[in-house]
Amino acid sequence: MKIIVAIKQVPESGAPFKIDGSGRWIEETDLNYNLNESDAYALEQALQLREQHDGEVVALSAGPDRVQSVLRDALAKGADRALHIRCDDRSGRDALGTARLLAAAIRPESPDLVLAGLQSDDVGHGQTGVLLAALLGMPHASLILQVEKTEAGLSVKRELEEGWLQMIELPMPAVLAIQSGGNKLRYATLMGIKRAKTKELRVVESGELGVDLASGLVLDHVSAIRKQKSTQFLPGTPAQAAASLVEKLQFEARVL
Amino acid sequence: MTPLFGTLTEPDSFSLAEKLIFVALAAASVCLFWLRFRKVLAIILAARLDPGFKLFPLATRLKEFAWEVLFQAKVIRQRPLPGLAHALVFWAFLVFALVTLNHCCVGLGVGFLDPSSGLGRFYFAVAALFAAACALGIAALFVRRFALRPVWLGEKLSYESGVIAALIFVLMITYLGAFLVAPASAGARILWWLHTLALLGFLPLIPHTKHLHLVLSPVSVFLSRGSFSSIPPLAGDDDFGLVAGTDLTRLTALQAFSCVECGRCTEHCPAANTGKVLNPKEIILGLRGYLNESGPASPDPLLGRFIPPEAPFQCTTCGACEFQCPVGVEHLPLLIGLRRGAVNTGSWEDEAGGKLFTTLERTGNPLGGSAAERDKFLQRLRLPIFDGSQEYCLWLGCMGAYDPEGREIIADLTRILDHLGTSYGVLRKERCSGDSARRLGNDLLFQQLAEVNLETLAQAGAKKLLSICPHCVRTIQEDWKEFGNPPAIEHHSEFLARHADRLPRQQNDEKIVYHDPCYLGRYRDIYDEPRELVSLAGTLAEAPRSRERSFCCGAGGGLAFLGEETGERISHRRAEELAATGANTVAAACPFCNTMLRDALAAGSAPTTQLLDIAQLVARGLPEKI
Repeated sequence: MKIIVAIKQVPESGAPFKIDGSGRWIEETDLNYNLNESDAYALEQALQLREQHDGEVVALSAGPDRVQSVLRDALAKGADRALHIRCDDRSGRDALGTARLLAAAIRPESPDLVLAGLQSDDVGHGQTGVLLAALLGMPHASLILQVEKTEAGLSVKRELEEGWLQMIELPMPAVLAIQSGGNKLRYATLMGIKRAKTKELRVVESGELGVDLASGLVLDHVSAIRKQKSTQFLPGTPAQAAASLVEKLQFEARVL
Repeated sequence: MTPLFGTLTEPDSFSLAEKLIFVALAAASVCLFWLRFRKVLAIILAARLDPGFKLFPLATRLKEFAWEVLFQAKVIRQRPLPGLAHALVFWAFLVFALVTLNHCCVGLGVGFLDPSSGLGRFYFAVAALFAAACALGIAALFVRRFALRPVWLGEKLSYESGVIAALIFVLMITYLGAFLVAPASAGARILWWLHTLALLGFLPLIPHTKHLHLVLSPVSVFLSRGSFSSIPPLAGDDDFGLVAGTDLTRLTALQAFSCVECGRCTEHCPAANTGKVLNPKEIILGLRGYLNESGPASPDPLLGRFIPPEAPFQCTTCGACEFQCPVGVEHLPLLIGLRRGAVNTGSWEDEAGGKLFTTLERTGNPLGGSAAERDKFLQRLRLPIFDGSQEYCLWLGCMGAYDPEGREIIADLTRILDHLGTSYGVLRKERCSGDSARRLGNDLLFQQLAEVNLETLAQAGAKKLLSICPHCVRTIQEDWKEFGNPPAIEHHSEFLARHADRLPRQQNDEKIVYHDPCYLGRYRDIYDEPRELVSLAGTLAEAPRSRERSFCCGAGGGLAFLGEETGERISHRRAEELAATGANTVAAACPFCNTMLRDALAAGSAPTTQLLDIAQLVARGLPEKI
């Protein structure tokens, strides 16, 4: 079973950030980067499938040179080889452009399964996986928590709203967009990183893939969310205050 | 003139037949000893060399050897009565070296120490005093083992120990008896032969029993790794810690065979005392079993038949075992080595442990706090950023930056620093010192954290660090050395005690019991400084187990993050002990102890006992800000 996992490097979540001079992106100089969270689960799913059914896991990422660090981490966690599409991170490229780049790199590999994270933690389009399926002409399913290989193809568990789950069967090759939290992530190990040193990390220039990156999307500006704080004091005895708190949580905040 | 004391009576001469029998028996005894000892020696020498081991400087080794071996200081200090009994036996053995040599020479007709000469008379008299003391000592130890039966010696009675004790007793009594018999009498001859038989019977019993410590433990003590919990560097690309027999080093093997099975390690182990699988003595004996059966060239995993796989991960790395061990066994490099073997190869699967590592990988701190949260805390306390102009770089640590209680400690410490007029600043970015990763044996993660931090500190130009966390202090000062030159760091108790004369003395008689954190006490030898600070705030009370013998809070070695314990909670055991002193307040000096004991006190029999860090205690006496 040959599995390609498309992964993305994103700024560390929870880092304080500033909007850059152009107003269209954030200052990148002080940022730490990490593997996108749902992509980490996609990688974990791929590694588990390979451990059960043998085959190969190829980690794929598009971006500037710094993305090689997440590819190396993927190799250390157990991916067999890595493919880096070298390109400027955001030269007006949108999710479709990224999907085109990834699809062009995936096609010659003819994988049995392509996994991507559900959405990125930075821009959060949530489209790359779905677009990949369309470009590759493969069936797809998204919001996937667990994947099992069956005689006929795949059996996957989808997360629906409000705790509902859906089981789907689909043939291979297929593209799956993986939701966070379906599996336990493995930690990187010293042995993994030592083994990774001898593994292949191939670099492809985005220009060589002959992909039209023209975007139909124009990024106007980015801005920070204005936080509104509204504090309410609930008067009365503790019992009265608790009762009105429950009421507010039930009917205003709707969390109960 | 008759001398005040008689002297030793030796048989006047031996027949040829007697001499031949003696030589044959002696040869058999020595051969049997050697045949058995050779196997042990071969196993030790077949193990690989210890990476990073340095023999020099010798001065510290000699000092430790004199203190622990010759003076028996540790043996006596940590278990005074049995320790003294042991020391009497040991010192007598030293004195008997010459007596025994002469005894054997007499059997060959070439005795060199004449009992009637001045020197002989003196030496044999001195030896007689030691012999009497030794007979008393060994009898006491015999009674202890077979009548009092301390639980630490194990459930099974060691009959070979009884035999050995009897032989030693016979050796001493036959020696003393020779002062009372007439020269050239049959009695003298019988005593000589009894002494000889006891001696020759004793020798072959040494190599395959715990009495091997007679030979090996002085070597173990002399060749110790040199510092407390010394974690050796990994050697080359195929070293992941202790996975199989091939990973065992000579020191580890030497120590495994040196164990005297006294059980001091287990007596003081917080895990073994609260119903966990881990029993440090059984780990060492398990290792010995592995070496005897599989040997140091074996590819079989170390965790399994001889050492339960979960045992090393129940260790809080409090170091009581290593501190207590009288024969130089270093438990921490072994336990952490076994963890390294399991974690570095990915074979350790533990839900909470895996989550801790992935959280550290992603966020750089074990609590999963974000950089933005830390920033907010910095702003809320208006903490100045370290820019190289301040005297101290205040290292917040994960607990100081994210834990609500840790933040309170930082807040109070900065109030004290302001009061003292000491300039300080904090780093914009900090990652976990890597303590948990290091102790849990995740070398990759530890290296990444150490390197990023070393670079941050170098860029900031920090020369002197101040920390509220003994774990950060130890890890930064000692463990980071593997990857660079860490700046000097000290614990706030050391800093504050140095300025104690400028800190307010509070007028009250509040009884405050101080809990020694393992990483400040046993790891750093800081015992008096925090007590001095507690005394500023109230009346210092001592816990039954304090200072070097302090009992762990249960958080160390990454265990704070590993979730529910099996058996009784270590923190509850300690909290009950602290509360039982009747103190109103427990003083802590470590944010991990703080959080563990706070919860345990609240859940225990004295929930009103409050818990404060030493900085909080000191800060109580500061004038209110206007």
